[in-house]
Amino acid sequence: MADLLLQAGIAIAVLAVVGLLAHRFGQSVIPAYIVVGILVGPNAPVVQGVSFNLLERYEFITLFAELGIVLLLFFIGLEFSVDRLLARRGEFTRAGTVDFVANAGVGLAIALAFGFTPLEAAFVAGIVYISSSAIVTKTLVDLGWVADPEAEPVLGVLVFEDLVIAVYLAIVSAVATGAGDPFTSVGIALAFLVVLFAVARFGGPVAERVYAHDSDEQFMLGVLGTLVLLGAVGLAAGVSEAVAAFFLGMAFSETTHVERIERILSPPRDLFAAVFFLSIGLQTDLGTVRSALALVVVAVVLTTATKLASAYYAGRTYGLDQRRSVRVAVALVARGEFSLVLAAIATSVGTGALGEEIPAFAVGYVLAMSILGTTLMRYSDVITDRLAATN
Amino acid sequence: MTVYETDVPGVGRKFELELGGGSRLVVLLHHDGRRELFVRPDPDGDSERFADLTGEQARKLGAILGGAYFQPVEFSSASVPLGDAIIEWVTVPEGSPVAGGTLADSNLRDATGASVIAVQRGPDTIANPDADTTLEAGDVLVALGTRDEHAELESFVTAA
Repeated sequence: MADLLLQAGIAIAVLAVVGLLAHRFGQSVIPAYIVVGILVGPNAPVVQGVSFNLLERYEFITLFAELGIVLLLFFIGLEFSVDRLLARRGEFTRAGTVDFVANAGVGLAIALAFGFTPLEAAFVAGIVYISSSAIVTKTLVDLGWVADPEAEPVLGVLVFEDLVIAVYLAIVSAVATGAGDPFTSVGIALAFLVVLFAVARFGGPVAERVYAHDSDEQFMLGVLGTLVLLGAVGLAAGVSEAVAAFFLGMAFSETTHVERIERILSPPRDLFAAVFFLSIGLQTDLGTVRSALALVVVAVVLTTATKLASAYYAGRTYGLDQRRSVRVAVALVARGEFSLVLAAIATSVGTGALGEEIPAFAVGYVLAMSILGTTLMRYSDVITDRLAATN
Repeated sequence: MTVYETDVPGVGRKFELELGGGSRLVVLLHHDGRRELFVRPDPDGDSERFADLTGEQARKLGAILGGAYFQPVEFSSASVPLGDAIIEWVTVPEGSPVAGGTLADSNLRDATGASVIAVQRGPDTIANPDADTTLEAGDVLVALGTRDEHAELESFVTAA
């Protein structure tokens, strides 16, 4: 027992320390959590015969990480804003579609060029397509851009991506995990998806009544219990726990419980998500990342370019001037939690390149893009000033 | 005056208030109760964050802004239904010439022009007091009259 407690203590303590360091340097915590996971994990570097290995990928870490995935996607569903979907629908659809075609398209092309199968290429496309809501939103608030017009296209594109990724996750995980005939498993998954969609669409009033409980403790247990159980059902039906969690979040977003959930479930989400990022680091072997280095470099260069271009277009579509559109462009570069969720699903499928190469690629890619994205946002004034000077 | 309200997924809600001349006040309400205040001087400018409040500070500020905390009298907008007449009050001090006599004895209306419309004695209110109501030290006389008449009344009641 003391041993288990020690492991948990080490895991949380290293997260606390590197989180503090990341804040000190104005960086997102996500790359910091991954890096520390690599450094203290089973593949820790050995310096002069001394290994830094402190942690294994213990069972409780796997469980916490799984809860982290479920909670991350639940919150995305919860924060899914139908208002935003309906407001400025034309701009929203155009900006979102260009973003999808440009980034997922280039991801697919790169992966096929590197000789991956279509399914593996679909994973790579998803990993490079989706921007990190967590990093982008946090930096928007930190820099105060959230109060400016550039917040509109940025948040619009993020919401569009969330919608695409829910459908995408359902299909890809059905194809990847379904045994036997892919059409049957997609059929089962789609049927479950219809059920989930009905839950999201009509479950609001029921959730409103059932979860109206005065005690915060009962409320939290009720919501968490439903969420984790439904996630398990989702996994069994082959649509992945993440998709089930997303749709349950959407059902709750129609109720008055939203703010209470934000207040009460954010702390457990932050804990479990942090452990999720740590566990990604723990299972990463730098050697494998190095072997995927060519793919990482090509993807970083090309998808930074496509994201800048598609997001700049989004800014212009929303009627912003050049300076603000450049900000929109740099704001959407960061990739993060979803790319890693996809990597985790790929690992759980485990066939072919999905087992090692693609997760390793995702880790290298997210490390580069999360740091690049935050840094570009912080120094965007330099870029916009340069542009203004050359004009 | 238009207030724009938008959702900020994962953060909370954003409110924008037009201040005139193209400038806007932006309030960001976080789900955890924190409130950030920004001002954007013109449509092309960048928003400057000028305050970051906790929920409690924000409520206190809101009460002050809403006038619940302290309400200044806005003379320009105050409407008086009585023309020049206003309602004021004066406390009858110890040894006042009117203390101990009736309202008729005090001859207040003829002497000052102000009419006593109520007498507040401790917790009791004597509304529309008649001529033989006895006045005591400590009574608060609520009176109707012009500003000049009130000045007269005050010096009459408090005269040694």
